[in-house]
This record gives sequence, structure tokens and C-alpha cells, in this order.
Amino acid sequence: MGSLSTYFTSSVGRKQIVAVTGLLLILFVIGHLAGNLLIFLGPEAFNNYAKKLAGLRPGLYLVEVGLCFVFVVHFFVTGVLVYENYLARNTQYGVNAAKGQRSWATRLMPYTGTLLLVFVVYHLLDFTFIDKHGHRSILADGNSYGLYGVVVNAFADPGHSTFYIAAMMALGLHLSHGVESFIQTFGFNHPRYTPMIKTFSHIFALVISFAYSSIPVYILLNYPKVP
Amino acid sequence: MSKINLTLKVWRQKNGREKGGFETYTAKDIDTDMSFLEMLDVVNEQLTHEGKEPIAFDHDCREGVCGMCGAVINGQAHGPLKGTTLCQLHMRNFRNGETLVIEPWRSRGFPILKDLVVDRSAFDRIIAAGGYISVKTGQAPDAHAVPVRKEDSDTAFDAAACIGCGACVAACPNASAMLFTAAKVSHLSHLPQGQVEAPERVIKMVEQMDKERFGNCSNEYECEAACPKEISVEHIARMNSEYRQAKWKAKH
Repeated sequence: MGSLSTYFTSSVGRKQIVAVTGLLLILFVIGHLAGNLLIFLGPEAFNNYAKKLAGLRPGLYLVEVGLCFVFVVHFFVTGVLVYENYLARNTQYGVNAAKGQRSWATRLMPYTGTLLLVFVVYHLLDFTFIDKHGHRSILADGNSYGLYGVVVNAFADPGHSTFYIAAMMALGLHLSHGVESFIQTFGFNHPRYTPMIKTFSHIFALVISFAYSSIPVYILLNYPKVP
Repeated sequence: MSKINLTLKVWRQKNGREKGGFETYTAKDIDTDMSFLEMLDVVNEQLTHEGKEPIAFDHDCREGVCGMCGAVINGQAHGPLKGTTLCQLHMRNFRNGETLVIEPWRSRGFPILKDLVVDRSAFDRIIAAGGYISVKTGQAPDAHAVPVRKEDSDTAFDAAACIGCGACVAACPNASAMLFTAAKVSHLSHLPQGQVEAPERVIKMVEQMDKERFGNCSNEYECEAACPKEISVEHIARMNSEYRQAKWKAKH
């Protein structure tokens, strides 16, 4: 009864795994954003950052494998829980109406999550597994700007930018429920602090999604005189 | 006193094995001072006169304390009002000519027995798994023998208000029984008498809840909104933390 293995199969235990992996992913999202925002300082600062990060290998591989593991666990465990939840209501209601507590962010969690999975795969193919000095890095002046050039060229395309911004809005919705949900699932609920945590959760999500989106918006508005 | 007419779309199902479906009835000259169950009584009387099978629904005290009644009205467990059971919902809350869709609690953990009646014995099994304290029988102990902090006794009392009606499961988008189980766990663990068995209790009750094949909580808090006793989801947080600690501290 007391064995730890049943923790990992119980409903509450698995939710807490989702919560912890979610928190780790939030930390990654913050770190990644901090790096990305260097783009506003110009090609040199941004490319230097990318170079420094790449210089951390092979240690970086360890972090990447860890991150990938966390991401897969978060997605896979949630997937199983969502499927179980679907089975738990074996007959659907004829009429569905909320009694006031459900928010759109909570309702859309599985969908925003799936969109983010698709986005992450696309994003890696788009910016990571590419030739950073190939034709995609060449800007209007005919010079190669490395990863900076790739990013600028990518976001100069409105379709590309729109998908990126849509994914960041999904991230915002996902986080606005995710942060407060982490606290509840981990077992903290307080009459005074819980409403504050909810407000923080929403503001945090808004800041993150807008900060990420500011990059394609900035490039779209200033192209082709970006660098 | 005024009277209204309503159209009812009621879920009719002969038993757990057969498929159910909606039937439409008219409820005529319904006194607005009636409770929802009294309105169903009137409709049933009419059905009986017509030689049709009356609508089966659970009920007992009809004063909001027993936890027997309950149905989903237009998608909302116990109807549109907050903090009421179906028997305490009065017909003055509905407009003349309105159509009401009346369904049973829908959850894999609550199999339908007939029409609006579901089998909630899963809740009994969750209680039996650990929702008790062990005491020596005999003379009643002195009321003040065990001091209890006022704050804790208030919280325990709030949780103890749960009547086990199952509206939390019905309202949960995932048909999860977390609010019910959490209320029972939290009720006992806030009191000194509940401390001895607290770690085993939370583990056994959570695992029984899982066995009953309810869904998993996704913090949507519809349960709290639908609960006729307005039990707070803070009890779910407490159970989450108690369960985690009990599991990680368990020695075997």
C-alpha cells in the first residue's frame, strides 16, 4: 500500500508529475526568452549569445537530453490523464453548461498543449537543425548574418510570424492555467494567497507571450532595415 | 402564487444495460412555490394517469441535507442556483414556457440504474477504504477531553458539510471525484482524532477513488461551483499535499 510505485500510477501522483515537469518547462521558457530578447541588441549580441551557448557543449547535450525527457514526460503523462478523463464520462451530457468556474484557458489546456508540441517540433526544424550560414542567413544587403539573419528572414514572412505569434498566444493561455494549477496540485491553497497567485499566473502568462511575440512584431514592422 | 407551464426533456433509461434517450413531456400549471422534485411528482402523477411509467428519481429528506436527490438541469448539476440541492430549487427560478433538459449524473463511476437514478455506491467504498476513525466503544468521552483549535474545527466542519450527493462528479468536466474524497480526507485530518490513521487514510481513499474509475482532477473548479454545500477546492489542495507526503514517507 505504501510503495512508491503506486504514487506514479495514482491520479494525484501523476498530476504532480505533470506539475513538476511543467514547472521545469516554465523555467526553460523564461531562460529561452531571456536569450531571445538579445535580438533587440543587434546581430552581434545575438550571435555571440548563440555561439557561447553552443560553446557549452558537451555539457549542453546533457541539459538538452534532460529537457527533452521532461517535455516527453509532461506531454505523455498528460495525454494519458486526458484520455482517462475522456473515458470517465462514458455518456456525454445532452446539454453542457458550466456553473461559472471554468475558464477558457483551462478548457483549452489539451489543445494549447498539442499546438505547442507541434510548434516545438516545427521550431526545432526551423531554427535549430539548419545551416546557420546558408542562404537563409543572408539579409537584404547581401551579407550573411548567421542565426540572426535566419530569424529576421523567417519573421519577415507574415505567415511565418503569424504562426509563431499564434503559438505564443497558446503558450500564454497554457501558462495562465499552468502556473496556478501547479500550486493547487502541489497542495497549496490559501484564502488570501491563492487569488494573488491566480492574478500572478495571468500576468506572468501575458508578459511571457507578449515578450516572445514582440520579436516577430518588431521584425515585421522594421523589415528590411532591421540590422 | 403563480403557475407556469414547462417543456421537459427527461432522460429515460430502463436499466443499466439498455440504451437511454430523451423523452419530451409537458408540465402544466406548475405552482412556482413547488420544489423541483414536487414538480416531478406532479408530472409523474400525470404519467401514471396516462398509464405510462413514471420518471424514476432519487430523493429522501427533501430539505437539502440527505444527499439523495440530484439531476443535471440544462447542463448544470442541481440546476442553476448556487449552494442548493435539487429539492431546495424552487420553480420560481424558471420562466413560463421554458424547456428544461433533465439528465442523470454522468460518470463511469456512477452507473445508471434507471432514468435519473444512479448507483453511487462507489462513494461508500471510498469511505469504507479509510473515511473513519478507530475509537474504543464504551462511555461517551467528555466533550472537552480533546482540545481542538477553533480554526481547525471550523475547517473540518466545512468539509464535513459534504452530503455525498455526487454533484461534484457530475459537474466535473472529467467526472472526477476529487472534491468528495478530499472533503472526507480533510474533514478527519483537521481533527486530533483523525491524526492516528491520517497517512494510511489519504492513500487508501485516493487509491480507492482511482479504482472506481473516476476521472482525474484538472483544476477546473466546477465541482466547487456545483457543490450544494459550497465545499472549497482548498480541501483538494490539502489532499494533494497529504497524499504526496504520505506516499514519500511510507516505509514499506
